[in-house]
Amino acid sequence: MLWVDKYRPKTLDKIIVHEDIASNLKKLVSEQDCPHLLFYGPTGSGKKTLIMAVLKQMFGVAVEKVKMENKTWKIDAGTRTIELEVTTLSSTFHVEMNPSDAGFQDRYIVQEIIKEMAKSRPIITKGKKGFKVLVLNEVDKLSKEAQHSLRRTMEKYSASCRLILCCNSSSRVTEAVRSRCLNVRVNAPTEEQIITALEFIGKKEGLQLPSGFAARIAAQSNRNLRRAILTFETCRVQQYPFTNNQVVPLMDWEQYVSEIASDIMKEQSPKRLFQVRGKIYELLINCIPPEIVLKKLLSELLKKLDSELKHEVCHWAAYYEHRMRLGQKAIFHIEAFVAKFMSIYKGFLIATFG
Amino acid sequence: MSDIRRWFMKQHDKGSGNALSKPPAKPETAAAVSKTEKASAPPQKPSEKPSHGAQEGSGRRKTSKYFSTPNSEDQSTKQKPKEESTTERTPAKRKAQKVIDESHDVKPPSAKKPHKVEDDDDFVLPQEKKTAASVCLPKKLKSESTRVNNKASVDMEEDNEEDIDNEEVGSPLKPSGRGRGGREKGGATAGGRGRGGGSGRGGFMSFGERKDPPHKGQKEVPDGAPDCLAGLTFVISGTLDSLEREEAEDLIKRHGGRVTGSISKKTNFLLADEDIGGRKSTKAKELGTSFLTEDGLFNMIRASMPAKPTVQEEAKQISIKKAEDVQSRISLVKVNVNDNKVGESFLSRKVAPGGPPAGASPAKRKGSISPTDSLTWTEKYKPKVPNDIIGNQSLVKQLHDWLKSWDEKFLHTGQTKKGKKQIDGGAKKAILLSGSPGIGKTTSAKLVSQMLGFQAIEVNASDSRGKADSKIFKGISGSTANSIKELISNEALNVGTDRLKHPKSVLIMDEVDGMSAGDRGGVADLIASIKISKIPIICICNDRYSQKLKSLVNYCQLLSFRKPTKHQMAKRLLQIANAEGVQVNEIALEELAERVNGDMRLAINELQYMSLSLSVIKYDDIRGRLLSSSKDEDISPFTAVDKLFGYNGGKLRMDERIDLSMSDPDLVPLLIQENYLNYRPASAGKDDNGVKRMNMIARAAESIGDGDLFNVQIRRYRQWQLSQSGCLASSIIPAALLHGQREVLEQGERNFNRFGGWLGKNSTMGKNIRLLEDMHTHILASRETSLDRQTLRVDYFSLLLKQLTYPLRMLPKDDAVQQVVEFMDTYSLSQEDFDTVVELSKFQGHPSPLEGIPPMVKAALTRAYKQGNSSRVVRAADLITLPGLKKAPKKRIAAMLEPVDNGAPEENDNALVESEDEGFLDTEDQDASTSGESNVQLDIESSKAKGIQVQLDLKNSESSNTKKKTPASKSKLSGVAEKSERNSGGAKRKR
Repeated sequence: MLWVDKYRPKTLDKIIVHEDIASNLKKLVSEQDCPHLLFYGPTGSGKKTLIMAVLKQMFGVAVEKVKMENKTWKIDAGTRTIELEVTTLSSTFHVEMNPSDAGFQDRYIVQEIIKEMAKSRPIITKGKKGFKVLVLNEVDKLSKEAQHSLRRTMEKYSASCRLILCCNSSSRVTEAVRSRCLNVRVNAPTEEQIITALEFIGKKEGLQLPSGFAARIAAQSNRNLRRAILTFETCRVQQYPFTNNQVVPLMDWEQYVSEIASDIMKEQSPKRLFQVRGKIYELLINCIPPEIVLKKLLSELLKKLDSELKHEVCHWAAYYEHRMRLGQKAIFHIEAFVAKFMSIYKGFLIATFG
Repeated sequence: MSDIRRWFMKQHDKGSGNALSKPPAKPETAAAVSKTEKASAPPQKPSEKPSHGAQEGSGRRKTSKYFSTPNSEDQSTKQKPKEESTTERTPAKRKAQKVIDESHDVKPPSAKKPHKVEDDDDFVLPQEKKTAASVCLPKKLKSESTRVNNKASVDMEEDNEEDIDNEEVGSPLKPSGRGRGGREKGGATAGGRGRGGGSGRGGFMSFGERKDPPHKGQKEVPDGAPDCLAGLTFVISGTLDSLEREEAEDLIKRHGGRVTGSISKKTNFLLADEDIGGRKSTKAKELGTSFLTEDGLFNMIRASMPAKPTVQEEAKQISIKKAEDVQSRISLVKVNVNDNKVGESFLSRKVAPGGPPAGASPAKRKGSISPTDSLTWTEKYKPKVPNDIIGNQSLVKQLHDWLKSWDEKFLHTGQTKKGKKQIDGGAKKAILLSGSPGIGKTTSAKLVSQMLGFQAIEVNASDSRGKADSKIFKGISGSTANSIKELISNEALNVGTDRLKHPKSVLIMDEVDGMSAGDRGGVADLIASIKISKIPIICICNDRYSQKLKSLVNYCQLLSFRKPTKHQMAKRLLQIANAEGVQVNEIALEELAERVNGDMRLAINELQYMSLSLSVIKYDDIRGRLLSSSKDEDISPFTAVDKLFGYNGGKLRMDERIDLSMSDPDLVPLLIQENYLNYRPASAGKDDNGVKRMNMIARAAESIGDGDLFNVQIRRYRQWQLSQSGCLASSIIPAALLHGQREVLEQGERNFNRFGGWLGKNSTMGKNIRLLEDMHTHILASRETSLDRQTLRVDYFSLLLKQLTYPLRMLPKDDAVQQVVEFMDTYSLSQEDFDTVVELSKFQGHPSPLEGIPPMVKAALTRAYKQGNSSRVVRAADLITLPGLKKAPKKRIAAMLEPVDNGAPEENDNALVESEDEGFLDTEDQDASTSGESNVQLDIESSKAKGIQVQLDLKNSESSNTKKKTPASKSKLSGVAEKSERNSGGAKRKR
């Protein structure tokens, strides 16, 4: 079992990174009524852990009896019927799902399925709560339509159902939805916190941690606790006992992106762009989300770039990232960004060095 | 002051490409000196200057010895027949002489004011070959300056020649193999791709880069008489001085010349500005083809300026045939007022020999054809016998044979009641002709049946062809369908009509694919008819692959008519034109044939229409007319992209571009996106460091992105009114920015547009996401963690890969295998998931993640994993192999997991697996040995001890298996028969 999962705190009491939030949540939950909750924050900051702990606090261990279901829903959408397959993870008290999986048909999930679930009261009411909880992941990826349909559901069925929303960026959640929830911002843990966590794990595992090693992992993790722990364990698999100068490995795709970035910096030509396209396809085929690719690519490029150009390049990265979200074929937009970058950079090189 | 412009082509030694040999001109050598009186051509003066200037300015120009040089000119001048030089000196005298002596052709002086000009051309024509490898046209060049210029360039050329030779050796120009077959025999035509059309990029496949013309756009392109190059065949090689190859091609075609792809005996000129020792020039030297520079071409054209009347004179030994040839080159002949009468007399004389009445005056023609004008030409010139049909002769023959043997094959056997066994398997009772409109399917069917004495009964879309009434006794008085039924089933009926003349009849079902809503059950009824028919049935359709005809196809012998080649068509069109007295040259007709895309009927109609207003139809007329009214042809996305990106892409009109990109609004943008990087934009002009191109690419890429946004609006929000904007953004703007020459980006790539990669990549991505999702589900089912899919890939994968492969590489075999299998069990990963992890971690150019793992270890892992199957706790339904089914169930059906009380992870979790839908459950078990069974027993017991409940709903087999306590116990019941299935099922992977 991976350390990430092994040392994941299961209850609010055990949480060490966001203790303040945990204690607040505990108070909130123990006072009978709980509002809708919206957890937001960067990946690897502990949102999911908090949510599971909150649920456990609410309903006890029963929430850990989960059942996974993959059900096909037939939805009558006016002229045609749509078949949607939804995977849910549910216990008697809560249902967890990822509505944005349905792509642009997500509004049907919200309109039909979630409503359907929200309507019915929990069958077993032996617990103290008279409601059940719907956990929706990746709410920020929901389309606007879906979010609009969500807000009515939130009000109407609040008697029998609570929503716990989880997302990375609250800015992509509509105002209306946000205002109906209690917003819980889960910050990325600071490096010190990560180091503490790593040392905690190291102690539990009985490992010899060279001084500064945890700090290096923490620095590279980009304040992502999950990644830090995973990297930590990767190091452990790779080489133990640790040495002071041990290389902290990058994720496979990160390495690939940085190769792309250096390709781009080396040569700006249609030929190179064509090769870069092939490599980006490679990443996308390996299921790396395009947003992450673009973001990582930008940060790799920025590392090597003249500070003069940084602002402009960032602007265009944001521009194309926005368009990528509006669009459908991510590769087109990433390629457009690379082309734009090449054009800017080439012009800059020639203007500077002739 | 008379200016003598000379220009001739020196012949090279056959077989010897030796640069230094300068043999005397051979008999085939065409040497010509033309002389024009300068006074007669004032408008030419200005045009001469720029070209001259350009010539001088083009320092790069390499004139090989094969081009006319002053030296060779001198040489060959000497060799020229004496009378030439004499006539030159005494033009006036000769003129008179010539007019009387020689057979001479005069074209109708259309739209020309009488002009007093003497223009003498002397021809020394090849004596052996019919196809003259020579042309003599007046050339305006100051010989003095030419001489100087050429001398200089000759010197230079000596040095440069070798380099250039090496440089371009590797560029044989070949037409692509992709053409539809509309090729010439001798050498592929300019449009040799067969789909490029006249305005396409031409069919040249250039390897690597062809350089831009060094003086691109700096020369004035002359305008000459439309037919001044008629009958001449050109081959273009290498880079020209100022014209792009496509422009040169168009220029030649516009003036009646023909451009082919490779040198043959028929080739008159090799148009090249530098002697690149490629295949073409070698061959040209072998065959003795003349070389011609771009300036030479310009001069040739310029010399034929309509303003300057020309009269051709021929050498005495020229045959009449030759004379016609020459006549067609000089389109406009001004005849002196004095000569008019003589000219007329020539005309009449000319017509007499029986050649095509090309020279007939319009007035005459009109008079002669007026009586027959009532018929449209398509009717009038319909083929009268099967042999007249253009193209597809073998098919016609097949049809003929089939029809001929129909009676004995089907009827007589039927009569003798011997049953169907005598009918040989391949023979079908009906025949289905398919092919695009206007290529003679109906005509063939009719003609063949007529020839064999069948009476053809035609039923086409204008008749209602629904299902026949069930009451067949209504007979022929009922609907058409009824009468068909009656007809085919009653042999006697047709005998009755006209016993002697038409003893048999044949049913022609025309336009069977046009059976529409009105003809309900039509096709089914037709099939029924075919089954019982006593007469042959010929079905005709356009699209054989139409959905409607799917059932019919099985009952018919299929004959697919192909489009006739443009030569075949042009030949026939020429016959018609001649019969109607319209002057058209063959080049123009070929263009027409190409434009109508094989539709003979349309071609004839167009020809008739144009003949109403024009008596002489030229290449430009046809181009101009058919540009606007070209037939709506099916263009493939590739053709569309070729055209958009093609060299002439910038000249297309907006509506044409929209049409092109709309031809397939899904595929064209993808093709554009795939290929736009490969084009060197023509509009970038001088672009030393590629900045301009990069900028354009960036703009194009953004526009393609816009196209994607539009597409989302269109598809997701059904904003179809945006489709034009979408086309504009996704296809037209990128193409407009980047159209130009295509180049290859990777070594060894073919220089054609690739198919859009997005579709393939997207589906691979879809597949991988599905695999990842499966794995994600398994991990969720293991209940150890609750991560989302993205996190799984982005964060977990590196470590998972390490955990799964590192021990295999490092630890001793048994330990490693055990460790890995344990890890897999913890997260309930299957072997498929193991493969997924490996697959998704592969990156191009990186070592495979499985590298360094000996196959033995891999095999051991597989074995160990399978062994564990019997005792494994199944957590997700798709991990269970169902014996009844070959495949694993498509999706996880349901898996419910309960934690052990203390929450501590343990290998034997409580598991309750329920199957809602189908199948009865089983865990995998190979070679179920006794030890395996004891394991099972143990497992059951230990499970019971922990209070495991496993329920199995067995719907498929209602046998004793209805309620089993544990999945593992199934292994006892599953017999030997199931084992094989399971073993095969284990290896399966959803891909």
